[in-house]
Amino acid sequence: MEVLREKVEEEEEAEREEAAERAEWARTEKMMRPVEVRKQETTLTQETLGELEKQLSEIQIPVSAELPTFAKDTIDISALPVSYKTNTPKEEQLLQLADNFSRQYSHLCPDRVPLFLHPLNECEVPKFVSTTLRPTLMPYPELYNWDSCAQFVSDFLTMVPLPDPLKPTIKREEKALPKKYTIRPPRDLCSRFEQEQEMKRQQEIRAQEEKRLKEEEERLMEAEKANPDALHGLRVHCWVLVLSGKREVPENFFIDPFTARSYSTQDEHFLGIESLWNHKNYWINMQDCWNCCKDLIFDLGDPVRWEYMLLGTDKPELSLTEDDSGINDEDDVENLDKEDEDKSFDMPHSWVEQIEISPEAFETRCPNGKKVIQYKRAKLEKWAPYLNRNGLVSRLTTYEDLECTNILEIKEWYQNREDMLELKHINKTTDLKTDYFRPGHSQALRVHSYKSMQPEMDRVIEFYETARVDGLIKREETPRTMTEYYQGRSDFLSYRHADFRPRVKKLTLSSAESNPRPIVKITERFFRNPAKPAEEDVAERVFLVAEERIQLCYHCREDHIIASKREFLRLSEVDSKGNKIIMMPDMCITFEVEPTEHTKKLLYQYETLMHLKKEEKLSRHQVWESELEMLEILKLREEEEEVHTLTISIYDTKRNEKSKEYREAMERVMQEEHLQQVETQLDYLAPFLVQLPPGEKLTRWQAARLKDECLSDFKQRLINKANLIQARFEKETQELQKKQQWYQENQVTLTPEDEDLYLSYCSQAMFRIRILEQRLNRHKELAPLKYLALEEKLHKDPRLGELLKMFT
Amino acid sequence: MNRLYDSMEPRVIDDDMLKLAVGEQSSQEETGELAKQEGILFKDVLSLQLDFRNILHIDNLWQFENLRKLQLDNNVIEKIEGLENLTHLVWLDLSFNNIETIEGLDTLVNLEDLSLFNNRISNIDSLDALVKLQVLSLGNNQIDNMMNIIYLRQFRCLRMLSLSGNPISEVEDYKMFICAYLPDLVYLDFRRIDDHTKEVAEAKHHYSIEELKHRENLMQARLEEEQVRREELERHKTAFVEHLNGSFLFDSMYAEDSEGNKLSSLPGVSELLEAYRDKFVIICVNIFEYGLKQQEKWKTELDTFNECVHEAIQENQEQGKRKIAKFKEKHLMSLSAIREELEMPNIEKMILECSTDISELFDALMMLEMQLVEQLEETISMFERNIVNLVGLFIENVQSLMAQCRDLENHHHEKLLEISISTLEKAVKGDLDEDLSEDVRALFVDKDTIVNAVGASHDIHLLKIDNREDELVTRINSWCTRLVDKIHRDEIMRNRKRVKEISLYIDHMKSELDNLEYSDILD
Repeated sequence: MEVLREKVEEEEEAEREEAAERAEWARTEKMMRPVEVRKQETTLTQETLGELEKQLSEIQIPVSAELPTFAKDTIDISALPVSYKTNTPKEEQLLQLADNFSRQYSHLCPDRVPLFLHPLNECEVPKFVSTTLRPTLMPYPELYNWDSCAQFVSDFLTMVPLPDPLKPTIKREEKALPKKYTIRPPRDLCSRFEQEQEMKRQQEIRAQEEKRLKEEEERLMEAEKANPDALHGLRVHCWVLVLSGKREVPENFFIDPFTARSYSTQDEHFLGIESLWNHKNYWINMQDCWNCCKDLIFDLGDPVRWEYMLLGTDKPELSLTEDDSGINDEDDVENLDKEDEDKSFDMPHSWVEQIEISPEAFETRCPNGKKVIQYKRAKLEKWAPYLNRNGLVSRLTTYEDLECTNILEIKEWYQNREDMLELKHINKTTDLKTDYFRPGHSQALRVHSYKSMQPEMDRVIEFYETARVDGLIKREETPRTMTEYYQGRSDFLSYRHADFRPRVKKLTLSSAESNPRPIVKITERFFRNPAKPAEEDVAERVFLVAEERIQLCYHCREDHIIASKREFLRLSEVDSKGNKIIMMPDMCITFEVEPTEHTKKLLYQYETLMHLKKEEKLSRHQVWESELEMLEILKLREEEEEVHTLTISIYDTKRNEKSKEYREAMERVMQEEHLQQVETQLDYLAPFLVQLPPGEKLTRWQAARLKDECLSDFKQRLINKANLIQARFEKETQELQKKQQWYQENQVTLTPEDEDLYLSYCSQAMFRIRILEQRLNRHKELAPLKYLALEEKLHKDPRLGELLKMFT
Repeated sequence: MNRLYDSMEPRVIDDDMLKLAVGEQSSQEETGELAKQEGILFKDVLSLQLDFRNILHIDNLWQFENLRKLQLDNNVIEKIEGLENLTHLVWLDLSFNNIETIEGLDTLVNLEDLSLFNNRISNIDSLDALVKLQVLSLGNNQIDNMMNIIYLRQFRCLRMLSLSGNPISEVEDYKMFICAYLPDLVYLDFRRIDDHTKEVAEAKHHYSIEELKHRENLMQARLEEEQVRREELERHKTAFVEHLNGSFLFDSMYAEDSEGNKLSSLPGVSELLEAYRDKFVIICVNIFEYGLKQQEKWKTELDTFNECVHEAIQENQEQGKRKIAKFKEKHLMSLSAIREELEMPNIEKMILECSTDISELFDALMMLEMQLVEQLEETISMFERNIVNLVGLFIENVQSLMAQCRDLENHHHEKLLEISISTLEKAVKGDLDEDLSEDVRALFVDKDTIVNAVGASHDIHLLKIDNREDELVTRINSWCTRLVDKIHRDEIMRNRKRVKEISLYIDHMKSELDNLEYSDILD
């Protein structure tokens, strides 16, 4: 029953909220229709609600006894207020009214299901449904509007499938997830013939596709046909109806409490309405539901369409013509109210306690902070923030099959992670994992997709390039290559690609780091540098490290179609005979669109080559550094996954330990200060002033008496204190004397331990006596002074001073 | 070494000296060897050092057209000359010479650093062209007038100045004056000017500087105004209707017309002249406005044409680029295939394939180019037709307006003749107005004289009008011809360049392939 109670409360909560919205709302029940009349293929998405269970247990005579599994109540009933356990006379009266109403109804409509009027509550006490609702305004802005409020309620509700009344197993009705077709961009084809051919081809493909889809559909249909819904149209469900009018609600709509989705009243899933209620009244639908709820008119003031149970509550809103609603209506209502005042029976106040949702509970949302929603071929799990140590807040698992055994992919959303991890996407078919990060990761990661965390394997890492000094956007790695993409660099580098050879196995004991894979080729591309002429601005350079070649390709000039290029060959500085080569004409092959004189010079070529060699070294170093960085990132990621620390906002006072400590310390200090203040303000006159009639001004006589009383009282206290000290002193002295006597008597027989004990007692007793003596003396000295001080104080007291001055 | 030069005769820069200097400069190992191997072209030299050479006369430097840095210090140069061609010069050192006046620097607009240290200069001027000047060293000279500092105010980039060792540096206020008048200066005599000094200097010379600034602003405003006027006139000139927006033409008609001016003093003529002038000016303004309007039309016509041509060329180039990219991809593949292939007959076959690819590329590119040429030719001739039509229409309309001017003139002439004849009659009768001047009276001696005088005036006027008309027509026609010629020429140039580009590339590819063949055979 706990589950049920929760449901009830939460729905009430929602309803209260709706009431707070001042929108018209009502709870509706799906009308049960004979199965043969309806030929619709689907029913409502969710299983029957707890209320149905209650109703069934109450009304459906044969089944009621068979539902004990749910009826187990774990709530401590004794802790509940009296209103839960008993009915007030007014409530009793209401129940009688309801019974009467129910009898009339079953007499008039014998073929309709009995009404859901007064289910038993958790204390097994029948309560009228309307009184279970208590409109409450909650302090959370999220609960102020229906959509977020409904979301909250749906999060809180846990769906428990009921046992099938017909079969021992339960059949789920699931709604297929919407499929998305992405439209192909139109293709630009130059030849009409080709276009036609393409069209034909496309059509063929489309036909095939359609055929395939059709087959698929048929297959699905068949699969579904294999499980025809035996309960179609027999399920009764509770949901929320929001009536249009107030708070800018433009039209009536339904809210399904389990999914928090709103549905139009025209929706085909809702087969009909049996009855509606709110916290003020109860209505029976008298309209025919052959066309689902599409033709229903929600004018609750119309007694032909909606049979009300209680007369004269302020609900009726009879509008004879559809358009004629508004101001006149309200007048009518008022008049109606006045007329029917005597006849009307007011709905008793709700018996339920006001709901209180603590901020923790509000944040936790679902019971225990966890919720699982099962969809067709998918499962969605939700957790409250900080519930999972690794920050996991929701997980969506999609499956290949209806039985949910073969996982297709998993998406996990995280919150408050220190490593800014936001989403983890695991594709089970390709085994590709993709991590998405929010801005702020220490390595500026944006996306990391990988199959294995081993270095030098297939992976793509995207970065927040503005957070990086080198402007790196993306780095792709395969076992043999590494590709980097850059943006916004001062050297205009846009792309670097390195090809590696398998690592040479080294037998030396050098560490793994100092054995990088040998580089075969580095390709670098550059954006156009507007400060240089195009034919001097390198667009691409390829360092063929193994072949000792460097290829340069320049940018293409605005008015050219061919770009200049240059290739350097045989870069070794020593020829086969060991002679030093500086620069030979055949070491540089140049193609220039507009040949210039100075680039033909060996000197120029030599200088370019020298520069390029330097650059090659730098690039190789860069590649090596990138490799190192990758290792570092992987290591960091592994560490982060291991530790998965969560960040706590400084505004989160509950979780932030530091701020909590600080706050508590502050509170303590405040408390102490407060106490001190109270002490200093202790009023010595208060006990005496209380005896006098309050508010009146003191007479002179009263003041004098007050003063005397106060003084004598104080004197008494001083004497008492002196007596007390004296008494203790005497007692202590007597005891000591007794002990001494005992010692003298038994001195001979005493063990050394006993003697020690005696001596220590003596010294302590002597100490106590001395202290008491001192205190007594001190008291004797101070008592007269204290007395005089009080007298002086009373003299100066503004409440007495004036009067006393006159008096003395 | 210096001693050696000291004892030598004064010299002139000649070829040998330059070669030596250039050779000496690049004597670092490999580069030096390379330089020796192939020689260095003077125009590739970026910096040149010619110090301690007893040079008296700067000459033969015109070949160093790309020179950035030139050192001529410690010579005996007396006159700055022969530097006109070194327009890229950034750094010029002429210190320790015998220069007396600053001159010959008017073309060195890129100069940033100029040293004239230890010369005999007494006046700072002739530096106006050096707008980028940042460092100016004028120490150890004979500058003695503070006003020279004010001249330096025009150099906005000037940050470093040295003037120590001049007579003015002895003046008590020297430093404060310079700091105040050159507020952007950072270093003076190789010392940084601290903020405090700047403040004090500014406070000290506040008033005089404000006054100077005011004068400078006024001057600036005047210059700007002048500039605006010049631009306006330029705009009118491009519309061929300059000076027609007023009475300029009318006034010019009378400027050289002494008879006409004399006759205007006749009674009734001044009113006539006034009316004539008004009407004439209205027609002139009509022509002017029409001209400006037409100019807009030509401009939009030309812009549209240029835009279209540009787009067409771009599109064509894109196509060409795509073709080349495709070819390159394939070519690279086949080249590496050839390299890996071992069977000789196969290699030959592949090479043959490659060369066909190359010629196919050539054909495709040339085809594209021919296509473009044809398209452009058509467009250009269309544009030519249109612009010629427009110009023709304009000329026609202007001519009809000018004809109106002539009619006015004729009309005025007749009226004037009438008045003159009647005046003559009066003169014959002897009751000529007393207040007429002697010159005018002299005209009325007989009928021939007066008719001739009036006729001469009329002829001058007509001539002026004709001249203006002719000028306009000639100029617009020549503009039109030049424009069309230029378009044709540009197109031809473009075509040639493209064809050259393509054939160069194809040649390159072919030779590359040949080399490959060759090396294969060698292997």
